[in-house]
Amino acid sequence: MSQPNQLSDDNPVYPAVNYLNADRGVWSWLTTVDHKRIAIMYLVSVLIAFLLGGIFAMALRVELLTPGPTIMGANTYNRMFTLHGVVMIFLFMIPAIPGVFGNFCLPLMLGAKDVAFPKLNLLSLYLYWTGATLALAGMIMGGTDTGWTFYAPYSTTTPMTLFPVLLGVFILGFSSILTGLNFIVTIHTLRAPGLGWMRMQLFVWAIYATSIIQVLATPVIGLTVMLVGIEKVGHFGLFDPSRGGDPVLFQHMFWFYSHPAVYIMVLPAMGVISDVIAAFARKNVFGYKAVAYSSLGIAFVGFFAWGHHMFVSGQSPTDDGAFAAISMLVGVFTAIKVFNWVATLYKGSIVVGAPLVYICGFLFFTVFGGMTGIAVATVSLDVHWHDTYFVIAHFHFIMVGAVIMAFLAALHYWFPKMFGRMYHEGWAMVSAALIVLGFAATFIPQFLVGNAGMPRRYYMYPERFQSLNVASTAGASLLAFGFIIIAIYLIYALIHGRLAGDNPWDSRGIEWMTTSPPDKHNFHETPVITVDPHSYQNPGEEVEHVVI
Amino acid sequence: MAEITENRGPNAVHADAHAHGPGRYFVVWILLLIFTGTTVITGRMDLGDFNIVLALVIASVKAALVVLFFMHMTEAAGTNRLIFVVSVIFTIVMMTGVFGDLLTRNPMTLPTGNPPVQIQAE
Amino acid sequence: MSSSDGHAANAHLAHHFDTIERQDYAVRLGMWLFLATEVLLFAGLFLGYTVYRHFYHEAFHEASRHLDLWAGATNTVVLITSSLSVALAYWAIKQDKQKLCAGLLVFTIACALVFLAIKAIEYHHKFEEGALPGAWYHYSEVTAPGANLYYTIYFLSTGLHAIHVIVGMSILIWVLARVLKGHFSSTYFVPVELGGLYWHLVDLVWIFLFPLLYLI
Repeated sequence: MSQPNQLSDDNPVYPAVNYLNADRGVWSWLTTVDHKRIAIMYLVSVLIAFLLGGIFAMALRVELLTPGPTIMGANTYNRMFTLHGVVMIFLFMIPAIPGVFGNFCLPLMLGAKDVAFPKLNLLSLYLYWTGATLALAGMIMGGTDTGWTFYAPYSTTTPMTLFPVLLGVFILGFSSILTGLNFIVTIHTLRAPGLGWMRMQLFVWAIYATSIIQVLATPVIGLTVMLVGIEKVGHFGLFDPSRGGDPVLFQHMFWFYSHPAVYIMVLPAMGVISDVIAAFARKNVFGYKAVAYSSLGIAFVGFFAWGHHMFVSGQSPTDDGAFAAISMLVGVFTAIKVFNWVATLYKGSIVVGAPLVYICGFLFFTVFGGMTGIAVATVSLDVHWHDTYFVIAHFHFIMVGAVIMAFLAALHYWFPKMFGRMYHEGWAMVSAALIVLGFAATFIPQFLVGNAGMPRRYYMYPERFQSLNVASTAGASLLAFGFIIIAIYLIYALIHGRLAGDNPWDSRGIEWMTTSPPDKHNFHETPVITVDPHSYQNPGEEVEHVVI
Repeated sequence: MAEITENRGPNAVHADAHAHGPGRYFVVWILLLIFTGTTVITGRMDLGDFNIVLALVIASVKAALVVLFFMHMTEAAGTNRLIFVVSVIFTIVMMTGVFGDLLTRNPMTLPTGNPPVQIQAE
Repeated sequence: MSSSDGHAANAHLAHHFDTIERQDYAVRLGMWLFLATEVLLFAGLFLGYTVYRHFYHEAFHEASRHLDLWAGATNTVVLITSSLSVALAYWAIKQDKQKLCAGLLVFTIACALVFLAIKAIEYHHKFEEGALPGAWYHYSEVTAPGANLYYTIYFLSTGLHAIHVIVGMSILIWVLARVLKGHFSSTYFVPVELGGLYWHLVDLVWIFLFPLLYLI
C-alpha cells in the first residue's frame, strides 16, 4: 500500500498568483464572480452553521443525560431541537456539498472557466446569507418551538413568532433553486471539447441529479412555508380544521419537498464517494454507467415516496401501502451504488489515508442507514417506530454517517486543491477514527432506545432509558472532540501545511490537471478530453488525461 | 442530451432566410379569443360533471397554443421542452399522491366529516 | 452557420462562453428551468384548489357564480392580447424595428396595468361584501360549508398571480428601457425573448385560474 505522501511531487509548486490572492481586499471577495471564491465563502458559512447546529445538538444530548430536567426547561428543549433541525438541514446539509464542492469543482471538472451564470452564483450566496440570518435570528428571538417540520395546526396557532423563520427558509430555498439551475445549465453548456456525458466524473452526475431535485422540489416548500406564515397572520384556514381546512394537506405539501430534499443531501455525498474512492483504490469506478444512472434513478423515485413520513398521520392505508412500496425502490438504486463501490475497492491498489477511513465509514453506515430505511418504510413496523428514536437514528445514520463522512472525505481530498497545502496525515487519521467511533457510539444506542419505545422530541423519559441515553451522549462527546481536532489541524495546515503540488493524490480527475490552488481562470487553455473518467486503467499506470 | 457541438436556438433558425411573419401570432390570438368565448359560454351552462372536464380541456388547448406558438416551443431545443413537460408531470404527480389519499381515507377523518363546518352569515 | 457578426454579438459574449450561440442556448435553458420552478410554485395552490373543491364542491360552485364573470373574462382577454403584443414585440426586434418593439412593449405594460386595475376593483368589491378568506369570511350570499376556503384559495392564487404580474411588468419595463436605449437589434435580442417568456407564463397561469375560479 502506498502512502499519499509518496505520490506527491518532490518539488511541489505553489503558484505565486492564484485565485486566493489574485484580487485583494474584502470587497473583491464580496463582489467576486469567481466560483472558487464563492465556494470558499460557502465553506466558511456552512462550517459556522455546522458549529452552531452541533452546539445545539450537544445541548440536547446533555439535557438527555437524566430522565428529568438537566440543564434547561421544557420550552427551551423544544426550541433547541427546532434550532438544531433547521440549522442543520437548511443551513448546512442542503447547501454544503453543492455550495462548497459543487461550486469549486464543477467548472474544473468540466474544463470550464466558471459556472454558466457567475453573477447568479454570487446572488445564491447572498440569498443564503440573508435567509440563514433571518432564520437563525427568527428562531432565537421568536422562540420557535415547532420542530423543523412546522406542522400545522401547531405552527399556525403557536404564540411564538414564526414569520422571520419562514421567510428565512423561503429565501434559503431560492438560493438552493438558483444554485441548482446554474449547475444544470453549466453541465449542459460548458463541457470542454471531448467531454461527452459518459466521460464526466461521477461527482458531476451526482450534482446534476441533485440540481434537478433542487429546481423541481424547492418551489413547493417555498409555497408551503409562506402559506403557514399567511395562515398564522391572516387565519386563512387552509390547514385549520375549525375553518374547514385539512392539516394533513400541509404534511403532503411539506413532505413533497422534504423527502426529495434528503436526496439533495445524500446524492452529492454519493458523488464525492465515487470520485474519492477511485483515487484511493487507484482504479476505475466499477460500473460507471450503473452508478451514473442510479443517481438519476434516486432523484426520480425520490419524488414519489413522500407519504412514508405520514403513515400515522391519518393518511389512507391505500396511500400508505403505495408510498411504502415505492420507497423501497430507492433501496435498489442505493444498493447498486454500494455494490459498485465495494467492487471498486476489490483488487484495487488501496491508498491508506483519512479520506479512505471516511469512505469506509460511509459504506458501512450507509448500509445500515439504508437497511433501517427499508425497515421504517414498512408500514406495519413504522407504526411502532414513528416519532421514536429509531427514526432519528435511521436518518442520522444517513445524514451524519453517510453525508458528513462524505463531506469530511471531500474536505480532506480537495483541501490540497483548494489551498495548495497538505494537512497532517497522522492527526487526520486519529480524528477520522474518533469520528467513526464517536458516530457509532452516539447513534447505535438510539436505535435501541427508539425500538424500546422512547419518543423523539420528548424532554423527559422513563428511567429505564437512561443508560442508553448516557451512552449516546458519551458518543456525541467523542464525535465533537473529533471535529475539534479536525478544525485545529486544518486551520494549522492553511498556514503551515507543507505544499501539496498540483496533484498530490495522483488522481485522474480533471480538476487535478491544473495548479493547486488553481488560477483565477481555472485553465490557461481549454482542455481537450480524450479518455474516459477515473481512468486508472492499471493501478499506477500513467495515462495522458487531458491536453492543456 | 445536448451534444457539445449543438449550436441551436431560435437565433440560428431565424437568421435563416425564411423567418416567419407576424401573421401566425394573430391567428393564435384569434383562436385564443374564440376558445375563451367558448369556455365562458359553456362554463355557466349546467353540464354536470362534464363542466370541469370541458373547462380543463379548453384551458389546456389554450395553454398549448400559448406554449407552442407564443413561447416558440415548436422551435425550442429538446431539453427546454423536456423541462417544461417534466414540471407539468410532477405537478400531476403531486396531485395524484394527495388525491389517492383523500379518496381512500375514512370519511370521518376528512374536513367534511362529522360534524360539518358551520359558516356564520350576517 | 454562426450567426454572430462583428462587435454587437461579441460585446455581449461572456468570457466563459466560447460562442454567442452557446451562451444564448445556456440563457434560454436557464429561463425554461426558472419557468419550471414557477410551474411547481403555482402547483401547490392548484393542488389546494383541487383538494378543497373536492371537499366543498357545492360551496365552490355557488361562490364562483358570485364572482364578476365580466371582470374575469375581460382580464382573460386583456392578458391574451398582452401575450400577443409581447410576442409581436419579440418578432419586431428581430426585424430591427426598434420603435415598433418599444410601442408593443408599452402596450403590453398597459395591459398589465389594466389587469391589475380590474383586479383591484374586484378585490374591493369582495372586501365590501365580506367575501374574505378564512376567519374573515362573512358573506351572506354563499353559506355552504367551505365557502370561506373558496375565498382563501381565490385570494391566495389571484394574489400570487398578481405579484407575478407586477414582477413581469417590471421586467418588461426594464426591457423597454433597454430597447429605447438601442441595446437590442436583429443580432442581439435574447433579453426581449426572455422577458416575453416570463410574461407568457403569467398568462398561462391565468388561463387555468380563470375557468377554475370563475366558471365551474
